[in-house]
Amino acid sequence: MAQFLLQSVWLVPCYALIGGLLAAAWSPGLIRRTGPRPAGYVNILMTLVAFVHSLIALSALRNQPPQALSFTWLNVAGLHLSIDLEISAVSVGAMVLVTGLNLLAQIYAVGYMEMDWGWARFYSLLGMFEAGMCALALCNSLFFSYVILEILTLGTYLLVGLWFNQPLVVTGARDAFLTKRVGDLVLLMGVVAILPLTGTWNYTELAKWAETATLDPKVATLLSLALIAGPLGKCAQFPLHLWLDEAMEGAIPSTILRNSVVVGTGAWVLIKLQPVLALSPIASAVIIFIGATTALGTSAIAIAQIDIKRSLSYSVSAYMGLVFIAVGTHQEKTALVLLLTYAVAMALLVASTGTIVWMNVTQDLTQIGGLWSRRPITGISYIIGAAGLVAVPPLGGFWALLQMANNLWNSQPWLVGVLLVVNGLTTFSVTREFGLIFAGKRKQMTMRSPEVLWAMVLPMTILAGLTLHVPLLLQAWHLLPNWASINKTVAGLLILSTAIGCGTGCMIYVNDNWPKPVQLGSKQLQDFFAYDFYTAKLYRITIVFVIGLLSQIVYWFDRYIVDGFVNFVGLFTIFSGQSLKYNVSGQVQFYALTILIGVAFLGMIVSLPLLFNSPTF
Amino acid sequence: MHLQLQYFLLLAAALFCIGIYGLITSRNAVRVLMSIELLLNAVNLNLMGFSNYLDPQNIKGQVFTIFVITVAAAEAAVGLAIVLAIYRNRNTVDMEQFNLLKW
Repeated sequence: MAQFLLQSVWLVPCYALIGGLLAAAWSPGLIRRTGPRPAGYVNILMTLVAFVHSLIALSALRNQPPQALSFTWLNVAGLHLSIDLEISAVSVGAMVLVTGLNLLAQIYAVGYMEMDWGWARFYSLLGMFEAGMCALALCNSLFFSYVILEILTLGTYLLVGLWFNQPLVVTGARDAFLTKRVGDLVLLMGVVAILPLTGTWNYTELAKWAETATLDPKVATLLSLALIAGPLGKCAQFPLHLWLDEAMEGAIPSTILRNSVVVGTGAWVLIKLQPVLALSPIASAVIIFIGATTALGTSAIAIAQIDIKRSLSYSVSAYMGLVFIAVGTHQEKTALVLLLTYAVAMALLVASTGTIVWMNVTQDLTQIGGLWSRRPITGISYIIGAAGLVAVPPLGGFWALLQMANNLWNSQPWLVGVLLVVNGLTTFSVTREFGLIFAGKRKQMTMRSPEVLWAMVLPMTILAGLTLHVPLLLQAWHLLPNWASINKTVAGLLILSTAIGCGTGCMIYVNDNWPKPVQLGSKQLQDFFAYDFYTAKLYRITIVFVIGLLSQIVYWFDRYIVDGFVNFVGLFTIFSGQSLKYNVSGQVQFYALTILIGVAFLGMIVSLPLLFNSPTF
Repeated sequence: MHLQLQYFLLLAAALFCIGIYGLITSRNAVRVLMSIELLLNAVNLNLMGFSNYLDPQNIKGQVFTIFVITVAAAEAAVGLAIVLAIYRNRNTVDMEQFNLLKW
């Protein structure tokens, strides 16, 4: 049975897709009588089936070598497009994570999307996302990874734009689509360019090719840079990071997914491409540079936000930056562990803050406070999520960061410094949020804030339990480092950075006596971080301005030069007709003159040869 | 001085040109008809000249001339009838008043 389920594990994306399609039936325009709720239930059921299926398949995979499946998609002259699937512990494990988080987010949405009519659209898109991510996890072909990434980009556009009557949602969805699309398009250049070099899009074969490949360094660099661009946009890295901030306009259950796993899709492709990217040392340096600057920048920005969701979204960019660093320094395994621990913890953080938003309406951190005694479950969940994210010893984030810092300690110590700073800043940021939400005096918006209903608490607490069990899971999968091999200095430094971040965070934000709102030196500096380095303005004065100007020029050229030329031909014809008609003067004598001139002219032409050719005449 | 064919032809051409000038510049419709008569007579002069100098045996040109005179008479009659018809309507024979059928 288990073996059969393992063989048919490719059905998992199909379940989710079917769930998504079925959910669409309860759109308000189709089934008009029952209300939208069955859409959610059907989807949850299908997700549960997918989760159980992939879980059993994962257990059946124990101690088995990875298997490869291949379906032919298209076979045309000289091009054989096959859908290659890889059934390995990692890919099926990723599917378990995706379906599990989806299941929890969908149950969460049952509570959160109460009093909303858009369940059909919402759950359809969640199902589509789940299907896409599962397919991406299984997919072993760069080409089809790209296909799925593009479909997910469209999905992001639709999911962010769920409540499209809000103007900020529309602009946010637009930016999310275009920004990710740009990355994807450059990725497409890489995907197309890699085929003539390797003859294959299969990741396994690409890795094999990369082992022995001798490539012109320039070609390798350009190819790698193109391949990086897709994940760069997907993972909300500098400079394509603004979309994640604006995508926080969407519903929170989808934010859970987006922050935990959807941004991971880019990292997943990046990890799979690591052997190819390793061909170019420049590309590796670029990945590290992007990852480091994003991690440092966004973890600093996260501290200056007053919106709960946005504060967390910048931490997402920061942790994706750490994944980039891991890939840039050739630590695929560490990157995968980091993705796992981060996804669970971040999902918990978003779920926890989501319940706060649901009950207190406002997302403004300066308007809430003093919720600890009222909302213990949410508060504890938040603490667990925060502790699981940053380096707090027994929990998952610590092991991932430790493994990473350990590997970097001898080769690139400055990256350990980056890691420590990011860890410290993120700790400070999550502590700050905790202090602002749960500590201090209650404010007007949080005077009455009961705990939310079970459908939101249940997934949150399950996630909290999962976060607590991540170390045990890592141990079971032999992913924890050996006790003897742990670099005590690195571990100590990591814990120290967490302690410093947490300590200062507590001192400033949990401590009621510290004056709030907190001022950081000059107003300009504070605004600089609060407005995300003015990225929106930066986009507007650079790329948006240039494209806008160019399109206006092209429009003008088309409107007036190209159209003008054609219209001129018509106008000229009209004008000549209008003016030549005056030749019909109505005077018979004038007609006679015209005939005469015509005849004389004709006679002259006819007799010209005679004049010149016969001198005797 | 021996009369040559060219002199006849030149005279006829001159007459024809005078007729053309009159045809195009006259404001009086009757004078236009008179100019047409000049044209036809220039043609007749040509025909007679060619007939005498090039075809003295068969004198086809003289036959043509007879026909032209006949047809010219009929044409002048119809032309005067048209001028009279216009005159009844418009009370004038000024060619410059007859520009109704323009663009």
